Amino acid sequence: MSPDLPESHPNRPTARPTDARLRRRSRSAVARSAAGDRWLLVLIGLVLLAVGVGVTLLSYGVFDTSRAARPLLDPIIVVAVASNLMLWRAIAIVGGIVLAVLGLVWVARSMRPEPRPDVVLDGGPNTTILVSSGAAAEAVATQVGTLAGVARAKARLVGSTAAPALRVTLWLTDDAEVRGVLRRLDEEVLATVCSALDLSALPAGVRLAVERPQPAPRVA
Amino acid sequence: MRVLLRVLAPLLGIVLAAGAVLVVIEVVAAWVLADAEGGLLVPWRDWSVTLANLSWNENPVPGIAIGVGVVGLLLIIVGLAARRGDVRLEAPAMDMTVTTSPRVLARLVGTRVRAADDVLSASVTASARRIAVHALVWQDAPLDQREVIVGRISELLDELPLRRRPRVTVSVRKQEGLR
Repeated sequence: MSPDLPESHPNRPTARPTDARLRRRSRSAVARSAAGDRWLLVLIGLVLLAVGVGVTLLSYGVFDTSRAARPLLDPIIVVAVASNLMLWRAIAIVGGIVLAVLGLVWVARSMRPEPRPDVVLDGGPNTTILVSSGAAAEAVATQVGTLAGVARAKARLVGSTAAPALRVTLWLTDDAEVRGVLRRLDEEVLATVCSALDLSALPAGVRLAVERPQPAPRVA
Repeated sequence: MRVLLRVLAPLLGIVLAAGAVLVVIEVVAAWVLADAEGGLLVPWRDWSVTLANLSWNENPVPGIAIGVGVVGLLLIIVGLAARRGDVRLEAPAMDMTVTTSPRVLARLVGTRVRAADDVLSASVTASARRIAVHALVWQDAPLDQREVIVGRISELLDELPLRRRPRVTVSVRKQEGLR
């Protein structure tokens, strides 16, 4: 444990993963990452943009007007492919299979719902106790909802069974003192959850929102 | 943009996979059924005749190329713009990350600004770096309304443990007429 960690976790066991790793886990618990999707989209966009610009320049004769006048399916290319047919067949088949697998993996990854890891407690030599993700999250949400300044709360477990993390969304009341709410969330709720679930650490991603004021009744 | 990303990503994956499967099927079919006329699923023999008779500078080619380039540019824009614009707050512990959305920050600022007596209405845009307020105040409001509003916002920002204090710009306009 690093010396600068606030001394406010009397209930937490001392064996903890490194702080940097915990911070990273808590950061990725805030929301599901779309970084993979975004970079693939940008990559495909770059390829399309490069092809589009290249062909446009070619067809307006920027490289060479005689090149622009050649057919799209150039006889030179046809002859080159025909002279080494087996190689090009192999390239086309292998490339096609690789791209098909990549495409399907991408679809599966981006359509798959975010995992909700269950928590496994060690109940002795022949017993394991499984706390379902929903039950743990609901318990946390209920407890967070009782904090002063919190109108309602939502929680869910994210990450993997080996490294679970908590995502908490808080709807604060108008008079909430944000620093105090966060401190109590850490000291009272998360510390208790950690010890109850027998976890060395439970990184948390917290999203704050403001409770919409209830409209005043039109009829008094 | 994030919704668009969630829709586009699996769609592009399906298109990629389908195209690749078609290529494999056609190559294998042309190889195994060497004497068959035309393609199995795609009439690629007709396409190759068309492509062989079309040169790079003939008409549909530049148009299609520009279209492809524009689609590529749009994909890049969607990919870059679909990042989360979260506003980070200071967390009390190492293993906690606290964020809020710019919309929530804007609502907090708006509520605080509109609570002033002399402010008739206010529109707020907020991000992690910048808060911009356009306020409409009553004609008979004191002259230092801008400073009052700025003061109220910095009071709010003092209460919120924001990781990075956003720059605040306030513009005030006076409402014609009496209160």
